[in-house]
Amino acid sequence: MAVLSAIEARAVTKLYRRWGRKRSVGTFKSALLTGRPGHALAPDQAVPALTDVSFDVAPGETVGVIGANGSGKSTLLKLLAGVLRPTAGDVTVRGRLAALLELGAGFHPEISGRENILINGLLLGLTKREIASRFDEIVRFAELEEFLDAPVKTYSSGMAVRLGFSIAAHCDPDVLLVDEVLAVGDEAFARRSLEKFSEFERAGKTLLFVSHDLGLVAERCRRALWLDRGRLAADGPSGETVALYRASVSEREAERRGELGREEAAVPERIGSGEATVAGVQFLDRDGRPAARIRSGEPARLVMDVRARAPLADFVFGFAISTVAGIVVFGSNTAIDGFSPEELIAGATVALEIASLDLAPGVYSVDAAVHARDGSPYDYRRDLLRFEVAADRAAVGVWSPARRWSFSGGVRWKSEERV
Amino acid sequence: MRPDSVPAETPIRLTAHGSRTTGPWAPLKRTWRQRPLVAALARRELVARYRGGVLGFFWSLLNPLLLLLVYATVFRLVFAPRADVRPYALFLFAGVLVWGFVSSALLDSAETFRANGPLLRKTTVAPEVFPAVAVGARLAHLVLALPVLAAAIALAGASGAVRPGATALQFPLVLLLLAAVVLGFALLVSALSVHFGDVRDLLGNLLTLTFFLTPILYPVNAVPGKLRLLLWLNPFTPFFVAIQESAFFFRPVRLEVWVGMILTAALALGFGAAVFERLRDSIAEEA
Repeated sequence: MAVLSAIEARAVTKLYRRWGRKRSVGTFKSALLTGRPGHALAPDQAVPALTDVSFDVAPGETVGVIGANGSGKSTLLKLLAGVLRPTAGDVTVRGRLAALLELGAGFHPEISGRENILINGLLLGLTKREIASRFDEIVRFAELEEFLDAPVKTYSSGMAVRLGFSIAAHCDPDVLLVDEVLAVGDEAFARRSLEKFSEFERAGKTLLFVSHDLGLVAERCRRALWLDRGRLAADGPSGETVALYRASVSEREAERRGELGREEAAVPERIGSGEATVAGVQFLDRDGRPAARIRSGEPARLVMDVRARAPLADFVFGFAISTVAGIVVFGSNTAIDGFSPEELIAGATVALEIASLDLAPGVYSVDAAVHARDGSPYDYRRDLLRFEVAADRAAVGVWSPARRWSFSGGVRWKSEERV
Repeated sequence: MRPDSVPAETPIRLTAHGSRTTGPWAPLKRTWRQRPLVAALARRELVARYRGGVLGFFWSLLNPLLLLLVYATVFRLVFAPRADVRPYALFLFAGVLVWGFVSSALLDSAETFRANGPLLRKTTVAPEVFPAVAVGARLAHLVLALPVLAAAIALAGASGAVRPGATALQFPLVLLLLAAVVLGFALLVSALSVHFGDVRDLLGNLLTLTFFLTPILYPVNAVPGKLRLLLWLNPFTPFFVAIQESAFFFRPVRLEVWVGMILTAALALGFGAAVFERLRDSIAEEA
């Protein structure tokens, strides 16, 4: 028998209603004077925030939610938390739910930390007795023993954030929803919050969190959801989802830059005399099939078709791989690699094998060129092709080599490397 | 067959907005379930309001006392009060005090969603909690002022001006029923205030008007016959009649007045809760 999901979303659609026109003249008096007060309460227009989103989260899963601003991430969390009700579709959460939509949202500045703990705990669904029994632990985690009876308005923002997180972390939910709250607070606090998340995971709790920190999502979650303009664009292993999202971001960036580029003509896409031309480039995977996507560490092959107008005795073939931001991560040519040209007639196919493409997840762009030995180009083509690298693990930078850690001496780990 | 790892009997179906409770009475049920939170938030309101200093609470008592002084002086010096409402200051006291509760609770309700916007948008709190807190805090405030009323009655009793009796015990019951009416109106007012910017201003005017149409400054039998009928259309009339009976005349409240109060309370609660439930979804979005 299948385990019941901790979170179920079934074709969830959320429309935000706008009362724009009535708002500007939105008085009860005028509504009564028109004689149709009910009519004044009907919305002007509906703006979709989420469209037909469906997914399941199994108990004990940690799932990241990524997407651009305004893509519906917060709306999704609010729907799951029950702050908002879906316009269509069903949301089910099984077990005790706590939502951290904003740390310390329920704090009242005028009253003491002590009383705010009580109110915040009640807001998160704890009973008075539960709050009393966890009170000391909450205060200790927040490191606020001395300030407990001072009004919260005297707290620094860091203190308030610590207290807010501590209360939520100690309310022992089965399902925890967290909306981009770790961005605040200092590093030490962020680290301790992440430790708390790990504790959660080990305890078999379900965690769903929204973050703009793609590295964190890739590292912390096995699975990630990508929301794109209110639709579920991807749902799968976090590395892949993050890579897809990155690809889309850089694509849009490139589109934007493309428009700018045409105006400014800053970087020509193609330069050269044309004595020989690069007719096409292909990116092939380990099976020799053209691919747009490859897993980090797999073999790959770059192939270019070259045409020569007339026989040439001076020629060099080259490839360069760069990030979409324009950083060259690899470049080589036949001259560097020790080939001396003799003759190029009519056409040729040039292939470069890469035994192990150890690139960090992301999208990369390929330049291909054929030029003379002194560097003067026959045909230099920039950004001819793009491919995407996916990986289970994130890495900082562009290089993600096969790797292994080893330790000796007085070091122990609570858990082993996951992969 | 393996047992489900999450007990199946604890789902929270969010299609019903955080609870399985639906129907026109749902806001009241949810408020009842959340009463520890209502109590804590009401306490917070009071504490925050009186944090200004030790005198904070007394300052807030001063307001109705000053008002009372003005009414008592003006009406005694300018118009001679009727013989049956002397001492006039005491006659006014309970009514003015209780009316202060009614009007401040409703005015607070008209602003509570604006004031608690962040809480509504960022936590899973049930919105009906807030009008309940507004009413609860103002009610607690009134209860804290009741010793002053009791002292005034005792003083007048000692001088032989009135004869307090056990009928004064009707007062808390009347207050309870009145609180129910105020909660009903508070639900209505708070839900409407999310959609209309002028609810508070309209309410302020309406309350001033109602104050004079309610037997607070005068006993109901001072009103001529035809107008008296009109007076009884005011939902607050039975309550303030009952307050005068129990805190000044010390007579038993008539049965039809009790019936009137109970019916008014049920109607106000039902209507307020139904309208609130209708508009509830838009509250977290619009507040």
